[in-house]
Amino acid sequence: GGCYLVSPLVPTLVPPYLLEEIPHWLVVYSKADQELDHKLRWNMFRLSELDCYSDMLTRLYKQELQLIVMKYEQYRSALLQEFERRRRAKSYGALTNQ
Amino acid sequence: SLTRQPEEVFDIICKLGEGSYGSVYKALHKESEQVLAIKQVPVDTDLQEIIKEISIMQQCDSPYVVKYYGSYFKNTDLWIVMEYCGAGSVSDIMRLRKKTLSEDEIATILCDTLKGLEYLHRRRKIHRDIKAGNILLNMEGHAKLADFGVAGQLTDTMAKRNTVIGTPFWMAPEVIQEIGYDCVADIWSLGITALEMAEGKPPYGDIHPMRAIFMIPTKPPPSFREPDQWSSEFIDFVSQCLVKNPEERATAEYLLTHEFIGNAKQPHILSQMIAEAGEIRESQAYRNAMNASNAKAFAAGGGCQVGNDSYNSDTMKQASGTLVPARDGSGELAAGLATMVINEQDLATMKRHDTDPMDTNKPKYRPLFLEHFEKKEVNHLNIGTTANGTLTSHLRMPDSDPISTQVAEVCGAASVGALIESGNFEFLSYLSECELEALQARLDVEMEAEIERLHALYERKRRPILDAISLKRKRQQNF
Ligand SMILES: Nc1ncnc2c1ncn2[C@@H]1O[C@H](COP(=O)(O)OP(=O)(O)OP(=O)(O)O)[C@@H](O)[C@H]1O
Ligand SMILES: [Mg+2]
Repeated sequence: GGCYLVSPLVPTLVPPYLLEEIPHWLVVYSKADQELDHKLRWNMFRLSELDCYSDMLTRLYKQELQLIVMKYEQYRSALLQEFERRRRAKSYGALTNQ
Repeated sequence: SLTRQPEEVFDIICKLGEGSYGSVYKALHKESEQVLAIKQVPVDTDLQEIIKEISIMQQCDSPYVVKYYGSYFKNTDLWIVMEYCGAGSVSDIMRLRKKTLSEDEIATILCDTLKGLEYLHRRRKIHRDIKAGNILLNMEGHAKLADFGVAGQLTDTMAKRNTVIGTPFWMAPEVIQEIGYDCVADIWSLGITALEMAEGKPPYGDIHPMRAIFMIPTKPPPSFREPDQWSSEFIDFVSQCLVKNPEERATAEYLLTHEFIGNAKQPHILSQMIAEAGEIRESQAYRNAMNASNAKAFAAGGGCQVGNDSYNSDTMKQASGTLVPARDGSGELAAGLATMVINEQDLATMKRHDTDPMDTNKPKYRPLFLEHFEKKEVNHLNIGTTANGTLTSHLRMPDSDPISTQVAEVCGAASVGALIESGNFEFLSYLSECELEALQARLDVEMEAEIERLHALYERKRRPILDAISLKRKRQQNF
């Protein structure tokens, strides 16, 4: 569904799939073992529903993506901090050895 | 007539370039002998919204917005017929000359671009993809906004289908955060484009796009790398575009009165630059044609980028002989093409509406198989907490790896991946400088691998849904 709703806050455009709560079962599906995927009969849904679920999967994907990037961002800054700590320790050591 | 095939109406001359969703060709409208550009995009998607958008775009009539003449469906391709801009995009020109733009050149281009944005925004239309690659120049140096609407809409639809998240570098923070946005999102992108023209690439342009997505909303607005190289007016202009809070950001109308724009020179100052880029393009086309020793490509290559995949004339003739220079008959051409419509059969399927997926009155659907999956979820979570999830497994280094052995000794843990996952980075202080550097060097690669894994997982999960969608579409068409 690519139609846009006007949000009440600002005269802005928010795609409707962002406003709809993701059904619990879809979250479960996204996490479940792939072996079970064939159990779902997607043909039973209407076209518009399928479009919507596909959009929602994208949303879940983006959420997980963000977690990964944030995790690496933390890791990156921990590495930088460690380099910095050692640099300081070295220059401090150089000073006190004199 | 309505039923004419596009190849009866146009001669494809050569390929102009390629984007993420299709290719753009230079073409000749046979009847009027006018040169135009045709973007061909493979579509397997919801065409209804695209068609709606095309009709809106055809109503746009501004010298600062690339004119859309109409569109065709040819097999599974959508052909979007538009005005031809002989000098190509601003990013093409930078790439060809291997040169960034001067402040005067930037001001002149921004002036036209702002007029284009003012035109669109007055009609409450958001461009959504402002970047140097979507600002086209004609031979006189006039800048025009391209890829508005249809292409943007297409990009959207395709991106949703493929879980691709578009290039984030030009996106306003509010667009990335998906909290809703309006016209001033384009103004942010314009500020980024100004930096792109001045410095050759957008801020964060050389870091991983996913990191950029994370940084744009969280960091203060970007600015010039070397501020003392630029006038205070230019710096002020950019800083007024790059205001994080959309409510405090300048509008196109307001920026047109900015001193930097007020001092902008006439488009003819771009002639030199356009001519230079044109020459380079031509000599590249010549060389490519010779290299390919492809007589056909060469014959058709005058002034075009004949890429290594020059146009394949399966269904169409190459342009015959000499090119006729564009004369100003756009009005006449537009009138001629106004009748250009989508094959009737396609229209019929497109009019069919489905019931509203967002109908909140209907009871919440809860499929029977849910329980089955829910049980599985519990299992999944158990595994996740004990073994720290499968996501990090690729970070696990071989046992012989000195780092992981050390880390394992020190922290009693199985893998660096698990340690990263835990958010406890104490182990870093036990590693040698050399090992730390090795970890740092691998960081982006590892992040990318993890992202790729996640992407593949979601593609597999989406597959059956997409299959069901295309099955239903086919059935609809057979009614
Ligand atoms: N109307 C036009 N006139 C002349 N050249 C054009 C026209 N439209 C596009 N081009 C050329 O074709 C190239 C490809 O355009 P396209 O819009 O497909 O991709 P893009 O803008 O580079 O990237 P994206 O797919 O992200 O929009 C452009 O870089 C430009 O050189
Ligand atoms: Mg484009």
